[in-house]
Amino acid sequence: MPLVEVGDAEAFAALYDRHGRMAYSLAYRMMGEEQEAEDVVQEAFVKVWRSAGGYRVGRASVRTWILSIVRNRGIDHIRSRASRGRMQDEVEVSAPTSEPSEAFAEAWRNTQQEQVREALNTLPHEQLKILELSYFSGHTHAEIAEHLELPLGTVKGRMRLGLQKLRDYYQARGEAVP
Amino acid sequence: MNSMDRERFEDLKDSYVLGALPEEERMEFERYLVAHPDLQAEIEELSTIARLLALSVWEQEPAPELRRRIMDTVEAEAVHPAEVVHPRARRRSWLAGLWEAVGPRDLALVAAAMLVIGLFSWSMLLQGEVRELQGRVRSLQSQPQEQSQGPQMIALGGAGTEQGARAELITFEDDRAVLVAENMPPAPEGKTYQIWVIRGDTPQPSGLFEPKGDSIAGVVEKPVEGADAVAVTIEPKGGSKKPTTDPMLVGKVKA
Repeated sequence: MPLVEVGDAEAFAALYDRHGRMAYSLAYRMMGEEQEAEDVVQEAFVKVWRSAGGYRVGRASVRTWILSIVRNRGIDHIRSRASRGRMQDEVEVSAPTSEPSEAFAEAWRNTQQEQVREALNTLPHEQLKILELSYFSGHTHAEIAEHLELPLGTVKGRMRLGLQKLRDYYQARGEAVP
Repeated sequence: MNSMDRERFEDLKDSYVLGALPEEERMEFERYLVAHPDLQAEIEELSTIARLLALSVWEQEPAPELRRRIMDTVEAEAVHPAEVVHPRARRRSWLAGLWEAVGPRDLALVAAAMLVIGLFSWSMLLQGEVRELQGRVRSLQSQPQEQSQGPQMIALGGAGTEQGARAELITFEDDRAVLVAENMPPAPEGKTYQIWVIRGDTPQPSGLFEPKGDSIAGVVEKPVEGADAVAVTIEPKGGSKKPTTDPMLVGKVKA
């Protein structure tokens, strides 16, 4: 990061090579299609390049920082879409039925990511669905409540329980949250 | 909406870390958080949990063309390699590295220290010197990290401060900031305070606020990272597209 901060393109290329795939994966999960996911990643990495000085050691890892920027850009894209009629599709996409392709099976040997997924799999589907709808799709709690025809209090309650359960997963193992 | 209190904070905190609050509630929540720094650690911890979701996605390979597009932009803006001071280069010569790391004043101290311990053998001297230099470099390297933890605060100056007002810009998250002001006089009838984020010569309207009581926190609605300055002017109610008065407060964002 210090080299990126002083304008070293080579160092930035190394940063992209290390985190670009994860960033694109998050963008693709949010946008649901390649072109817009690429736009999100491009904007995010240009922002990383131009504001590398804004990265603060000790507050978050470089990966977390980059993924936060990707997510913020993704949310901006989603919210700028005229139509918000994708909720039903997103609910279906969020069901834990997808499997990684063979091509990327190796990537899933990454212990940390596997553990995160394992932690998420401990959540009841109703809680996971609400966490995913808010985190990946940029919907407000009121929008989620409306589309799922649930009381707002129920949506908030499931968010709370879902996050609590994730925290408990790591605490029970005496491990730090990545 | 109801005014924010501890109960409402508890009710909204999970939605906040998941990014599920509508804009107005989010801003209200952040004002409360700024006013109650003791709650920030809890929110940071909860945010860490929420961010786990980002790590749960199945990995997808981006097209090589994406890398090329990004690098085209980056290389067009990159500093020429000769201008880049590589930390590795600093290590080539410990003396050159020391000069860059500690500066002439501290070097003088090191020289004095070397004289004092001149009775020791040359090998002892070298060992002691190396240890001292390592300590100094470590200390200097750690300083920016210590300073960078937690919210960054930038004091604002200008005509407003001469009238007794105090204001600080607090960078709150990646690209969010809050302007906290004390003792701001009420805006004249039909006027309001407006925040501007300035990049180059362009001020971007970035939020309005009305002082009520002794202190006020105004959310800066535009990203401040990479901006040159943040300023506050008095504008007609509803705000202006461009500043129509001189800044009451101004703070330089870039180092």
